[in-house]
Amino acid sequence: MNLWRRVFFLITLAIASSAAVAHEMTMAEMELRQLSRTEFQWQWTASGNRPAGEEMTPVWPEGCSEERENNLVRCSEAALGGKMSIKGIGKSYSAAMIKFYWLDGQSRAYTVSGSQPNLRLYAAADDDARGGPWTYLHLGIEHILLGVDHLLFVLGLLLIVGRRWMLVKTISAFTVAHSITLGAATFGIAHVAPLPLNASIALSILFLGPEIVRCWRGETSFTIRHPWVVAFAFGLLHGFGFASGLAQLGLPSEEIPLALLLFNVGVEIGQLGFVIGILMLARAFRLTEMHWPKLMERLPGYVVGTLGAFWTIQRVGMLLRSVI
Amino acid sequence: MRRVVGRIVLALAGVAVALPVNAHLVETGFGEFYDGIAHVAVTPSDLLVVVALALLAGQRGIVAARYAVFALPIAWFVGGFIGARWPALAAMPLLTTLTFGVAGALVALNFKLRQLGVAALAIGAGVVHGLVNGATMAPAGASSLALGGVVSAIFCVTAILSAEVCALPKGWPQIVVRVAGSWIAAAGLLMIGWLSVS
Repeated sequence: MNLWRRVFFLITLAIASSAAVAHEMTMAEMELRQLSRTEFQWQWTASGNRPAGEEMTPVWPEGCSEERENNLVRCSEAALGGKMSIKGIGKSYSAAMIKFYWLDGQSRAYTVSGSQPNLRLYAAADDDARGGPWTYLHLGIEHILLGVDHLLFVLGLLLIVGRRWMLVKTISAFTVAHSITLGAATFGIAHVAPLPLNASIALSILFLGPEIVRCWRGETSFTIRHPWVVAFAFGLLHGFGFASGLAQLGLPSEEIPLALLLFNVGVEIGQLGFVIGILMLARAFRLTEMHWPKLMERLPGYVVGTLGAFWTIQRVGMLLRSVI
Repeated sequence: MRRVVGRIVLALAGVAVALPVNAHLVETGFGEFYDGIAHVAVTPSDLLVVVALALLAGQRGIVAARYAVFALPIAWFVGGFIGARWPALAAMPLLTTLTFGVAGALVALNFKLRQLGVAALAIGAGVVHGLVNGATMAPAGASSLALGGVVSAIFCVTAILSAEVCALPKGWPQIVVRVAGSWIAAAGLLMIGWLSVS
């Protein structure tokens, strides 16, 4: 047992000493505005720690030339129609959202990534029926799958909830709650500053750690009896976290309802995929009568608690540094 | 005193092995770990060998399934590690085709392979496919995180599929498994034919 403890200590230390970055912005945003039929002005409007302009270079469609000093792109009569790509994407930046604003007031948003660095552009918004808010579905899935903190919270809930009906209730409560605050934040009804929000989300994960231990010991608590209430309460916080994914990019007002819906659907797809995966794996272990050593059985719970504690300390530290 | 020194050594070792966790979203857009998961899904020979071995392990019962669940991903990881270091070892399309073709044929025949035989087959296939994965992924810039994604995907697919096959009732559901095996074997035969021509 002593050996197991040492191995666990080693793993925990290895994880804790890593540069674990949750919610670091790995996506940049570019705006492209049509000035006249053949002229466009572009700029990077959002990026992470490194300026997007230093990492990536747009390659404009054939027939377009760039005036570097004014960020102007001049195209032939075919306007901006053609293939555009972003050079350097996939290194520091996973993806870039490119927003087009045409003179007639219409707008479109696209995502390019390392796997799909090319983009088919159209001369006018009307030519492209495919673009627009659909890109937010992808963004929603990406946000939940990369948001390891959100996934760990869901895992923590799964470890506490025993019965199937309670699981449905708990996951639904989490979904309803985060949808409420996601909507409220996106429509500008409520706003939470990112630093305390991130610290609170970390605290919600840390909170589940001792509850999981109580569960193992066969003890009971309010969370173990009514996990859906806790899921709802903390779900409100996580909704603000999801909203940060959208807020960082900004949404044109006419796109908000559909984009919000699709982003939320994307988050749900990612979350359900994770829950189904975990449940199927648990069922597989049951069916094959796999008996794990106690430490391995408890490892997911320890991971939830340890990372919750680590992120809480890290994020509270960041919050305090910003205050002092 | 010895305990304190031991803990300090342990702590230093922990810090030394720690790797920075970066989410580089190169292929799938979701990070290298997800790239690894996707790599299995989009590489037919890898996917087919995992599916075939999971079906075979499930046919041979709970113990064989348990062996396969661990033998395949561990062997794959070892092979991947070796392949990433020495890529020259890994140009063997015939071997990777043979592994899934043979595994598929064994499923189709419902071959009464011993549990240790299933484990040995899983180890052999895991090392061969891992070698190829490592040799192709490393030059493309994929790190050990991507290999971790590959191995995790293999572990999950093998565990879920073999367990479900173990739990199948007798009759047509088991015939469906054998039909799936025959399709995999047929794909292997076609592939071998194509390789011999080209």
